[in-house]
Amino acid sequence: MTEVQTASMVKPWEGLEGRDRHAACMIAAQAGDRSAFDVLVAELSPLVWHVARSGGLDRTSAEDVVQTVWLALVRHINRLSEPRALAGWLITTTRREASRVQQRGSGQVELSSEITEQLPTTDPSPEHEVLRGERDRQLWAAFHQLTQRCQELLRLTVLAGRAEYRAVAEALHMPHGSIGPTRGRCLNTLRTLYHGDSGS
Amino acid sequence: MRTHQSDDELMSEVARLVNVLDPMPPGLVERAQFAVAIDSIEDIEIEVAQWANTNMLAGVRGGLPGTITFFVGDLTVMVNVTRTGERQRIDGWLVPAGAHGVEVRVADHGSTATTADEGGRFVLTEVPRGTTQLLVRMNAEQSRTVVTPTVDL
Repeated sequence: MTEVQTASMVKPWEGLEGRDRHAACMIAAQAGDRSAFDVLVAELSPLVWHVARSGGLDRTSAEDVVQTVWLALVRHINRLSEPRALAGWLITTTRREASRVQQRGSGQVELSSEITEQLPTTDPSPEHEVLRGERDRQLWAAFHQLTQRCQELLRLTVLAGRAEYRAVAEALHMPHGSIGPTRGRCLNTLRTLYHGDSGS
Repeated sequence: MRTHQSDDELMSEVARLVNVLDPMPPGLVERAQFAVAIDSIEDIEIEVAQWANTNMLAGVRGGLPGTITFFVGDLTVMVNVTRTGERQRIDGWLVPAGAHGVEVRVADHGSTATTADEGGRFVLTEVPRGTTQLLVRMNAEQSRTVVTPTVDL
């Protein structure tokens, strides 16, 4: 890519939000604007991250997958003819890449060891204050027993509170009306697993 | 007590755990932006290699030098990193062997390039430390370039 815009020009995505903003970035990136691509990486990496983590990869492998997905996009940027479909393309590509890494047998992590690694945060840490001990441990363990799709949907729902993620439903290829019920079923399963683990 | 937890309450608990326990690693965005900022990337056929043995790599990523391996298709690259004062020396071995081009990009420090010998071995000295990416240009196939995700060395 070559830099075709000067810093003094108003960027076409300025003032836009969500999918409109990212579609404008895609068009600019396809025309060679690297700063547009950097905006996409900055704003949509959390989406890629959480899809990769839903696929059961450890954090190190998930980071590699995030970088691999962006390298794939920069390489194939002109093959995406529909800029508004970017989030969907990212989700599909990330799922495929995460499953490729899993099949190689690297990057898989035993949940128990990962929880041990993550939960007893080193003191003094701001995270320590937020954690609520055994209940959190059980809920996080239950969360990881959910199907990949449920983990993905719940993680992306967390992201959906932010403006740039309003297109999550469409990106997940789910009919608009079915997101709520599906999410409800995932939460019911989570509730059962959570209470089952607590022995109540 | 928990049995009466509503979907909204449970969802907000999940949100808190996801945000606290599993946020993106700090600096990931910057590393990804660096990883894609390869000159003329649209003109070359790239393949992204996978770092092997992530357990060992976790140590390397914590800043300790050592041996790391990456692979893609039939190509395997072993890299040994040795500290030399503020900088480091990178010894590498490519399999299958061949006089492939090797480039090491370090964020904010440009890049260092060399060519492997016929046995597939290469050495780069005085490499700055930082967010690092390796590129291997296969000599037999002009357009085939292998790149790695970045690693902090």
